[in-house]
Amino acid sequence: MSILELLSQFGDKYWLALLTTWKLTTVSFILAFLAGVVITVMRICPIKPLRNLGDFYVQIFRNIPGSALLILLVYAFPYLKMVWSYYTCVLIATTIIPSAFCSEYLIAGINTIEVGQIEAARSLGMNFGKIIKNVVLPQAIRSSVLPMTNLLVATMLTTALASQVPLKPTELTGIVSYINTHAVGGVTAFLISAVMYCATAVVIGQIGNLIDRKVRIMR
Amino acid sequence: MENRETPVIELKHVNKHYSHLHVLKEINLSVKKGEVVVVIGPSGSGKSTLCRTINRLETIDSGEIFIDGVTLPEEGKQLAKLRSQVGMVFQSFNLFAHKTILENVTVAPIDVLHISKKEAKEEAMKLLKRVGVESQATKMPAQLSGGQKQRVAIARALAMHPKAILFDEPTSALDPEMIGEVLEVMAELAKEGMTMIVVTHEMNFARRVADRIIFMDGGAILEENTPEEFFNNPKTQRAKEFLSAIKNK
Amino acid sequence: MSLENVSIRDVLYEAPGPKTRMKIRIATAISIVIMIGLLAVIVRQFYITGQLKTKYWSFYGRVTTWLFLGKGLLGTLKVAVISGVIAFLTGMLLMMGRISKSKLLNGVSAVIIEFSRGVPTLLFIYFFFLVAPQFGLKLPAFWKISVPVALSATGVVAEVLRSGVNAVPKGQTEAAFSLGMTNRSVFFKIVFPQAFMYVIPALIAEIVIVLKDTTFAYVVNYSDLMQNSKVLISNYDALLSVYLVTAIIYILINYMLNRISVKLAGKNPLF
Repeated sequence: MSILELLSQFGDKYWLALLTTWKLTTVSFILAFLAGVVITVMRICPIKPLRNLGDFYVQIFRNIPGSALLILLVYAFPYLKMVWSYYTCVLIATTIIPSAFCSEYLIAGINTIEVGQIEAARSLGMNFGKIIKNVVLPQAIRSSVLPMTNLLVATMLTTALASQVPLKPTELTGIVSYINTHAVGGVTAFLISAVMYCATAVVIGQIGNLIDRKVRIMR
Repeated sequence: MENRETPVIELKHVNKHYSHLHVLKEINLSVKKGEVVVVIGPSGSGKSTLCRTINRLETIDSGEIFIDGVTLPEEGKQLAKLRSQVGMVFQSFNLFAHKTILENVTVAPIDVLHISKKEAKEEAMKLLKRVGVESQATKMPAQLSGGQKQRVAIARALAMHPKAILFDEPTSALDPEMIGEVLEVMAELAKEGMTMIVVTHEMNFARRVADRIIFMDGGAILEENTPEEFFNNPKTQRAKEFLSAIKNK
Repeated sequence: MSLENVSIRDVLYEAPGPKTRMKIRIATAISIVIMIGLLAVIVRQFYITGQLKTKYWSFYGRVTTWLFLGKGLLGTLKVAVISGVIAFLTGMLLMMGRISKSKLLNGVSAVIIEFSRGVPTLLFIYFFFLVAPQFGLKLPAFWKISVPVALSATGVVAEVLRSGVNAVPKGQTEAAFSLGMTNRSVFFKIVFPQAFMYVIPALIAEIVIVLKDTTFAYVVNYSDLMQNSKVLISNYDALLSVYLVTAIIYILINYMLNRISVKLAGKNPLF
């Protein structure tokens, strides 16, 4: 099929698929970021069991294959009387896995802060909250811009998991399999999706670089 | 009326251990208002640790520390308050990397002392001028030389109107040509009557500016004397060895 | 005392005073109680849904079960190793393209790298599973999974290698040239071995991603750990326990790989 034929027949579906991928990526990323912050707070708090629980969470979910997690959620959890919709299962998987990586990046960002700056803040009479507000957070956020853009792209790639369950509307990976079972889509069908993914990744990367250049801390 | 008897900083029977290492042994030290006390001694003698305990950047195992007659507590608002009254200048400057030079000086007055932004800025500019880096106010710390950074750090400490300033080897991380400019600012402060404890290896500075020399070794204060007495006529064997080792360099 | 090796995680909080110590102790106790409670809820949920019954777990006591899973794991590792090797070799070529002076070569490599990094593995798999056969390209199942997994890793490998090459100090190249070495031998004997040392941890991290991607083997019907787990499920009618154990196996393998990467990063003699 030529690209024009494909687009006239499936154009709407591609557009919808792209929007679905974007939406799923955005929602997952925001939830992953919030969860990542909570997990990170747990991992640096002075309460040992919470620290360990946070570390445990990160080790589990940065190491579990996405498909294995999705299969557990969709097929295994109902045996525990925990039945969720396909969309919920996908969203949990595409949120939890990036959240573990998010926490790793945030911890790395916090670790770039020099110990001496905390001491200096302390010696100026700042309490814990003020040190976090004036020194730790602003620096950790600035040095996390590039890792976070990478995480956003990684989250987008993870949303391809949605193609493994019957989800309406289909996203960009699912649509390639849909078209190829309904017509001979050929390379073009694949390329349209691939280019949409790539273009999104490139745009995210460019914006990330732009922001990073603005806020990066010179050392 | 100022009570002449109350020392600005006082340590009584202070002891500290790092596991089995006794790093501070029965430290007794009292610094009067306007006094400049220079602490010298070989590395590992505990002089930096001593300096850091006064801001409770290091904890102590026993003994008491008083700031202007008030006991330094282990935690809480009172600790933060007493810390804000004693400035600290570090070997590695420790300027806030994400803030401009001006912001480095204003952040604590605004956030800790609740001074208005405008007022804090004006005061900061005056202080930056005083240490000779007002032209760098809008730059970031990474754009400054080591000597400039340390002068900013001094301005940052001064902005809190401290009762005393602790200098923890302020010139040890500097290139030789920049040591002078920092010592100059410190000597100026001393002349203006600032109460100071200075941990340093700069013997000329000690001789010239100190009211009193504290010699430490092995975690204990071995000798306490005027500069002339100490440098010309050290009492302990360890001090004699230390001074001759330095002279031979 | 030197503070250089202390991480922020340790200094964020100052040495606690007696009140703070008390608060931490109480919070610790509360959090332990809550965590035990959560664990109890989970175990209870397993119990009341009958998932703790021995029939769901007893077959793990048999050697044959583990042999079968081991066979699947072997399939997984085969795909991972072959994909890894392909990704490394192609990544190497792309990296050399990226650092070459030819604008064309540079541009082409950059596009391929962006493509490899920007497209999900699953889409590559669908390409080789659904699209390629339409052109008569009918690969065996093993290659239908290995090639796309490699394709999706090669871009990252290329960029990782390139960052390693850039990290080699310029003086090294200059010194080598001053000894009269040729372009080629400077790169392969001086620059690349050092670059490789720098990026070993990052490459191991990429192996973890490759290993995770191999789990999509079920799409192309290749028998790997995941596929063999499915067979176990139909044999013993025990879905939850099997998928749970399989997931744990994957997690443990990846965890160990990550540990090795961290260890090697700490041991690198070049740092």
